[in-house]
Amino acid sequence: MKLVVFLKQVPAVTEIPWDPASGRLRREKAPGMMNPACRHALEAALILKEQHGGELTAISMGPPAAEEILREALALGADRAVLLSDARLAGADTPATSYTLSLAVRAVCPDCDLLLLGNQTSDSETGQVGPHLAEELDLPSAINVEELKLEGGVLRVKRLCDNFLETLEMDLPALVTINTQGHPPRQVPLGGVEDAFSRGEFLVLDAEDLKADLARVGMAGSAGRIVKVYPAGGERRGELIKGAPKRCVLELLERHGDRLGGYLRKDLGGER
Amino acid sequence: MNYEPCVKHKVVRNTVRDFAEAELRPIAHEVDKNSRFPWEVMEKMQGLHYFGLQAPRELGGAGLDTVSYAIVIEELSRVCAGVGLCVTVHNSVALYPLLKFGSPQQIQRLAPDLISGRRIGAFCLTEAGAGSDAGAVETLALPCDEGYLINGTKIFVTNGGVCGLALIFAKTDPDHPRGAPSVLMVEKERPGFSVGEIEDLSGMRCNPVSSLFLEDCLVPPENLLGRRGEGLRIGLSALDTGRLGIAAQAVGIAQGAFEAAVRYAKERQQFGKPIARFQTIQNYLADMATRIDAARMLLYRACAARDQGQPFSAEAAKAKLFCSATAREVCNLAVQIHGGYGYSKEYEVERYYRDAKVTELYEGTSEVQRMVIARDILSAPA
Repeated sequence: MKLVVFLKQVPAVTEIPWDPASGRLRREKAPGMMNPACRHALEAALILKEQHGGELTAISMGPPAAEEILREALALGADRAVLLSDARLAGADTPATSYTLSLAVRAVCPDCDLLLLGNQTSDSETGQVGPHLAEELDLPSAINVEELKLEGGVLRVKRLCDNFLETLEMDLPALVTINTQGHPPRQVPLGGVEDAFSRGEFLVLDAEDLKADLARVGMAGSAGRIVKVYPAGGERRGELIKGAPKRCVLELLERHGDRLGGYLRKDLGGER
Repeated sequence: MNYEPCVKHKVVRNTVRDFAEAELRPIAHEVDKNSRFPWEVMEKMQGLHYFGLQAPRELGGAGLDTVSYAIVIEELSRVCAGVGLCVTVHNSVALYPLLKFGSPQQIQRLAPDLISGRRIGAFCLTEAGAGSDAGAVETLALPCDEGYLINGTKIFVTNGGVCGLALIFAKTDPDHPRGAPSVLMVEKERPGFSVGEIEDLSGMRCNPVSSLFLEDCLVPPENLLGRRGEGLRIGLSALDTGRLGIAAQAVGIAQGAFEAAVRYAKERQQFGKPIARFQTIQNYLADMATRIDAARMLLYRACAARDQGQPFSAEAAKAKLFCSATAREVCNLAVQIHGGYGYSKEYEVERYYRDAKVTELYEGTSEVQRMVIARDILSAPA
């Protein structure tokens, strides 16, 4: 079977370094890492490859530094890695990104059976690229998938919707986005890293290779503009309940018992 | 000259850092406190090629270059120096001598267990009367019909408490006390081989450093590594590589302590502001960062020389000398920046402080490193 997994390199920091003037992420200021949900998507793809055989291609759109995460994918067992790197692709919003990724699929794996992505990235958190890419390629998709199983050419997925899991069946070819609840990622073997560099198949494609319509990629192709990025802030409005511990607990339950009960999913009424 | 790390070295660093943060960070404090060797992590490391870092891919190793090797040891030691120590000693001074000096039959017989980590290696040179004066070893491997009969006691054996294969430096000619020693490889199952008490050391406490006793321990002739009398050459070759690993450990320890100091300086408030705003603290941090950078560059230079097949003994000695001193100085400042809390076991810097010191002592004291460097200077043509 032919599998494609899309990976994104995101800043490996807790505070994202934004450039307030342009609204763009200053990626060069922070070391990169594979987006956590992408790691889970890669793990899901590796498991499918181990179970059903076939070929796994890892694709990433990003600056040259994104080669790091593609080599990691090779080290873990991907058969080839493709980097979409071109200054004209930078600053893309989610539709422009999805369009670009769809071109990559047409260029390197037009007959693939399953596309996997992380459900969202840690730097943008839109969750939009997966379903949008499916639309670009006219494929059925399921997002936020926690479990998947392939049997007899039919894909069975459990996806997380609000507070319940929904089981669906899909024909291939299809697209899924994987969440971080399932498919715990395996560690990278060091011998794999050596192989990834000494014999891994690694391609770099630019806008010409992709036959991209330049009006639809990068900042030029983005209808959405980031106008301003600022911390959410807000004052912390806490309540201080004073007194002896037992008194405090009783008062807490009096004032907020219902809300606490909601969080704990318990009816605290009877326990007061 | 390109001073930027290449993509491969970045990927190696990210890989090991992820592993160390996930598997070693949660236990580093506890294994030091309880002097516990973390077998559960070792088993995970076996499957990821940590026990055959530079062994060829065909033999099941990772096949890494020496700079990558140094990065692995640095990143492990940044979180748990005792584990970094186990891995570097196993790779540099147990597995490496076997691969370099062993016959094809010896490599076929003994290397797979070492590379897979099923057996952990140890290097046994030091005795009660033979530390820096390695020529003073008294352990005797008497040649006999069945092979060699070994008697002696080795001390301060890193990995001693868990080793599966020990490389023993012993005299093979009792008539020449300071004659050249040989190296005998001894599997732990051999009758007459036993492990002594685990040492109660100041730092790297999760590593079971111990004595090893050899009492009429018989090994077959095929357990002699290299030629009889070649022990010094094997030992020095092993130590040249070992020094790179220790230098890498020192850089990792310094880096870990430095990061803790930066975090603390940003959070701790005195006199109405974070102490990172005071010039004295900023000067300390600047000095620490500069020294660590310089140490790392010196280490990588020596590693690159080795990879290029150039002589690297003096370079390795300079790296070990400088990196170990850097670790001690940086850890001292890290504790100082933490103030009283730096002296408490609740904070990790006191562990780094204890771990740092031994890097100036083992695998050749700093005084011995200076001997190596001076000899290199004075032997150069005028």
